[in-house]
Amino acid sequence: MEFPAALFSSYFGVGPPREESGPAPVAGWGEHGQVLEGGPARRQAQPAFVPRRGATGEKWEAADAAAVPVLLPSAGCWIPSPAPQDILYRSGLSRKLRAGKSGATLDFTRQLGHFFVDHPEDAFGSLGRLLHNNFYLGNSKLKVTVSRNSTIRMTALVEDIDRLEAQRGCPRQHLASRLRWFSHLCRDWLFEVPLGLLADSLHEELMQQWSNLFFDDSLTGGALAWLPPEDGGTPVGRLVHPGGQAMNHLYFQDVVLEELPRAQGSPAQFELSGRIRQVAAARVDGEDFVGVRSDYHCGVWRVPGRPGAAPAPLQVIRTNVPASCLTVSPHLSGELSVCTQSGTVYLWSVETGLQQLRRDPQTMFFRDHSPWRWSDFTAHPRVLSYADRTGLQCLDARAPKKCHFDLFKVGEEAGCQQGERVVLPMYLGRAHPSQYLVTTQFAVYMLDERLPLVPILKWTHMMKAPPLFAHLMPGNPGKRHRVLLGASRTQEMLLLQYWASFWGVSSGGSQSACQLAGTPQKLQSIAGCLQHLPTQLPHHHHLLQQRLAAPAAGLAATLQEDGPHKSMLVFQLSEAGDVFCQRLTHKAAQHPAPPSRDEATTAPGSSPLFEAPASSPQGLGTAALRYRRWLRALSRACREPPQNTWPPSLSQRRLFTRRDLEGLAGPSSLQRQVRQRLRQAMQEGSRIQPWEPLALQPAPLPQTLELAGGPDPLSTRLTAAWAGDWEQWWEERTSFSVAQRQRALRERRRRQKRARGRRSLSASFTSSLTYQSELSELSDTGPLLLSPSRPPIPSHEGSPPAGSPLVHSPPTSPAPDEALLSSQSLRCRGIPKERRKTLRDYLSVWAEGPPEPPEPPGSQASQLCIPSSQSQLSSASQPRRKRPRMGF
Amino acid sequence: SSHEYKLNFKKSKEACLIYIQDALLQKQWKRAAEFLTCYVESLEKDYSREHIGPSEMIWRIGTEILWHHSQSNMKEFNCFMEQMKTLGVKRYLKVCLEHVFHLLCNGQIDEAYQNLSLAESWRFGEQTAIQDKEMKLIQAYRGLLDYYSWSKQKNILLEHGEDGFSDLAVEQEMHSYFRKAAVNLKEIIKIPGVWDIFVKCYVDLLEFYGDHNEARQVLNEYAYNSKFPANPNAHVYLYQFLKRQGESKKSLISALKILHDIVPSHELMIDFNTMLQKSKKRKKRRLGLEVIFAALDYAGWKENAKAWSCLARQVKQIVISEKHLDWIKQEWNSRKDWWPAFHFSRYLAKRNWQENKNLSYEKALVAGILLGKDCKYFKYVSHQGCKAQLKRFRMLKKFVNRHNPVYLRISG
Repeated sequence: MEFPAALFSSYFGVGPPREESGPAPVAGWGEHGQVLEGGPARRQAQPAFVPRRGATGEKWEAADAAAVPVLLPSAGCWIPSPAPQDILYRSGLSRKLRAGKSGATLDFTRQLGHFFVDHPEDAFGSLGRLLHNNFYLGNSKLKVTVSRNSTIRMTALVEDIDRLEAQRGCPRQHLASRLRWFSHLCRDWLFEVPLGLLADSLHEELMQQWSNLFFDDSLTGGALAWLPPEDGGTPVGRLVHPGGQAMNHLYFQDVVLEELPRAQGSPAQFELSGRIRQVAAARVDGEDFVGVRSDYHCGVWRVPGRPGAAPAPLQVIRTNVPASCLTVSPHLSGELSVCTQSGTVYLWSVETGLQQLRRDPQTMFFRDHSPWRWSDFTAHPRVLSYADRTGLQCLDARAPKKCHFDLFKVGEEAGCQQGERVVLPMYLGRAHPSQYLVTTQFAVYMLDERLPLVPILKWTHMMKAPPLFAHLMPGNPGKRHRVLLGASRTQEMLLLQYWASFWGVSSGGSQSACQLAGTPQKLQSIAGCLQHLPTQLPHHHHLLQQRLAAPAAGLAATLQEDGPHKSMLVFQLSEAGDVFCQRLTHKAAQHPAPPSRDEATTAPGSSPLFEAPASSPQGLGTAALRYRRWLRALSRACREPPQNTWPPSLSQRRLFTRRDLEGLAGPSSLQRQVRQRLRQAMQEGSRIQPWEPLALQPAPLPQTLELAGGPDPLSTRLTAAWAGDWEQWWEERTSFSVAQRQRALRERRRRQKRARGRRSLSASFTSSLTYQSELSELSDTGPLLLSPSRPPIPSHEGSPPAGSPLVHSPPTSPAPDEALLSSQSLRCRGIPKERRKTLRDYLSVWAEGPPEPPEPPGSQASQLCIPSSQSQLSSASQPRRKRPRMGF
Repeated sequence: SSHEYKLNFKKSKEACLIYIQDALLQKQWKRAAEFLTCYVESLEKDYSREHIGPSEMIWRIGTEILWHHSQSNMKEFNCFMEQMKTLGVKRYLKVCLEHVFHLLCNGQIDEAYQNLSLAESWRFGEQTAIQDKEMKLIQAYRGLLDYYSWSKQKNILLEHGEDGFSDLAVEQEMHSYFRKAAVNLKEIIKIPGVWDIFVKCYVDLLEFYGDHNEARQVLNEYAYNSKFPANPNAHVYLYQFLKRQGESKKSLISALKILHDIVPSHELMIDFNTMLQKSKKRKKRRLGLEVIFAALDYAGWKENAKAWSCLARQVKQIVISEKHLDWIKQEWNSRKDWWPAFHFSRYLAKRNWQENKNLSYEKALVAGILLGKDCKYFKYVSHQGCKAQLKRFRMLKKFVNRHNPVYLRISG
């Protein structure tokens, strides 16, 4: 490749950056930078000039209003990465303490507590086993036995802990003197790992997680790769992406390039032993090599060029320190470069193994604390670039100690700002063999390794988050190349176009310097499609919002040329494992811009995406159908039966002792009966249903479905909506299959006839029962994890256990409980005054008539809670919010 | 309260900026323009202490919109620029420079020149370092435009000169352009930087007036001053100047040798290699082999038929003469573990044969000698060549077969 005959002018200084500024929101606009002679035409012997930035670019327009899912969501819900509220300390006390201070307080004790609860074996394994016989956790008094002297009762201590949990943030915490006494006593010997050591590690991990919240560089490079189809072959490419709940499954998915790319067949799948951080790919001699990086493992796969051939794993290496970079050589098959956070860079050849090129824990040009390192290939197959946050160097693998030169320095050489750091370097070999892209949090730089240190192009990208991903789409030689930049947290994507070199006429037909063409263009992000989706129920909306706003984890793109029509397909991967795609179509430059829809903002819910185009046979666009399928699969995936919902248990033993409940006078038969039932219910731990004489036989429980004849359309719709099947209901309703409808109608009429006989008052309650059962299905979904468990449903529907019949009609005679609850009768039973109220409250809850109308599960448990001092019992039994995975 | 007002104002200002940014990034110029008219209000109450204040933002955004807005024209653009120049004193020179660039790109050379002259006379208090740099650039660009005027006059004069008619006024005007251009151009190229066009123009001026010493000094300074970046073009300009001056082979070679040391993949390396191959000195021929091997290490040269033919020719020469086989051996030693995969794979043999028969012929020759007659590349290409009944390839096969022992000596 020829070197440009003339370069754009620039000053060259040395030393640390002088310019003192921060992120500037608009600093990339309105500048030509420099001009150079060498335009396309010379008229009247006048020189023609071209700008460094601002040459005309190609016009790409989005084909759809939003990015469209390519793959269906994988089964099982996604575990979100930690959010600030998982790590930060929050309580009234700390807020008061922190008033005025800006620093955030990390909730150290909570995390340590989580560790003890989640890993008791690791925390107190051996002493726990030793002391196991000496600790007693029961409620009853210790019997005088041989073990009496060596056993202590810990119940009170546990209660104290529970109480402490309930009073989080209460300023009167010092009351828990018993706890303090205990911790003083055993702090030094109880723990398996010395507490100080453990705390140090935990603190380090917390700080790490906290800094990752601001900027997570482990994702650098991105975990999505596109293996394009072979030239002239069938338009079937491959998408390589991670998936699964922990993002530890590697998928090779065949994708057919149509108007919207479509997955074909089932993917080749590999289960790896760590979260996949980066997927890198390069094509050498017609074969694709795919490198996969997780924290402590790197692997390489070979994917033969012919379609349908299975990818073959070649080799895996394990590192002691997390790897921060893996790139695949575009020159030689089976060569990769690996960097670890200890500052080591290796050339990894599948045939000959690892060759260490450099090991230096210090950064190159000035001191920076980040252990992040990066490496890539250059125009010379034996020369590798090596980067840290302060700059780039090129090393010759044959003599890495002696032969190296500086390619890029954060400093005055490149006109950097103070505080600027390298975020992602990338070799642009497919467009121009000696060009390099370096992104920082403020700007993008283009470098030519033949002219080191001086960027041949610099542009302030103005992105809100540092660009961690980049993808090159080379054009034909002498044409525009396109670079996509992607950020993680904000999901931003920016399309840039540049000329690697252009032909200057006046400079004798030789090549001229690198130019930025057109204006940068923002592409749609995954989160942006939310406003185009049909209106959702609030909790679904929240779930969807959380899912779609997951940080981006990679991007890939491909150009598709179909005669005169050119289009670009851009894939974006999110941390939740979703792959979305958008299509951009190329517009001829001279085409007058019609007043397109992009000038108008679209109102939420009224998206062109879901407007039925007349041409489409199904009545909806392909994109809309894609969405529909994706949404359905998502709600299905997140609605698996809950694994850990148990009815909240109340310890009734603490409420009444046996003596409390024993009456002085001989109990009446009704009282005996009631007492018997109460006892039975307590033994079973089930709910006590409203009292009523046994003589009243419960009405047979009607089948839910069969009652459907009764409810009006509104209530069926509401029922469906609550269950989340509203869409399906609508489809059923509007289904144009007349035959089906008639059949349904006939069926309904038949059912009505059958049900007429046993319709009763109770029918009106069953519908609320179905809500309950369906809600329980939903309660597994993400945000609902926060909510306490639903109220206990003691029996399975339709099969009430003997002795505790389910009755849905209001009690016909309220007399028994009235009698039971009157304060006189309580007093005469010797129940202390202060407990009477509690008892009354307790019983009145169960005595209430029909079940409450459906409410979000969140509020139900609070009704069931016994007020006052017992509240912590129920709160302790609530499932905790799923915690982010910490380093343990 | 005023504090609250400030806060609200700041918030709405930021929101407005986000809308503008969004519109710009989606190429919605009209929408951006509408928002910008609202944003202009922020000039009234400027509480910001950021390094890019509202006035600069309005300049940048406004410029970008006017570049692309379908209804904007040059007149409006100039008007806007004039307003922007008065808006921010600190950025006066920067705005001027950008304005000039835009005029130049639109072919309005005279207006650009006027603007440059105006900007040059601007004074405001003490100049900062950045303003100083900008002023130097303004002067340099004015010098450049003066140079173009000079060269225009020169062409007129040369045309007229052919007619045997000389115009004194035109000549005088030309000389005055020369003086103006030379003064400004000379200034900027003293400062470390990349000044390719300025250096080229200045050297052209000097050469025209026969000041070759000054020209040589300028070029030497530009190429060899260690404060300047290692710009390959500086060496290229020097080499071209020496060539024009008819300098000796030795000085040309030494100029190219330095270029080879800093950029072994430069396209002049082919010229360098041919020059060295012709040399009678063994050392030079040896250097030639090194140069061409080094150039072919780079991915950009992989399919350069000219370079491969240079290498093939020299290797063939050495093999025929059977002298200096150790040169090849030495070069091959550091490459034998990766050149076969990089250059001589079966895949490449197929592709090169399909795309460029010439290239595959040269490469096959080199492969046959370096890797022996059983090498995949050579086997494939010679087989295809013989199948296609090409005489050249049959000769090639014979040649390689005859000299197969060489391969053993090289690789041994």
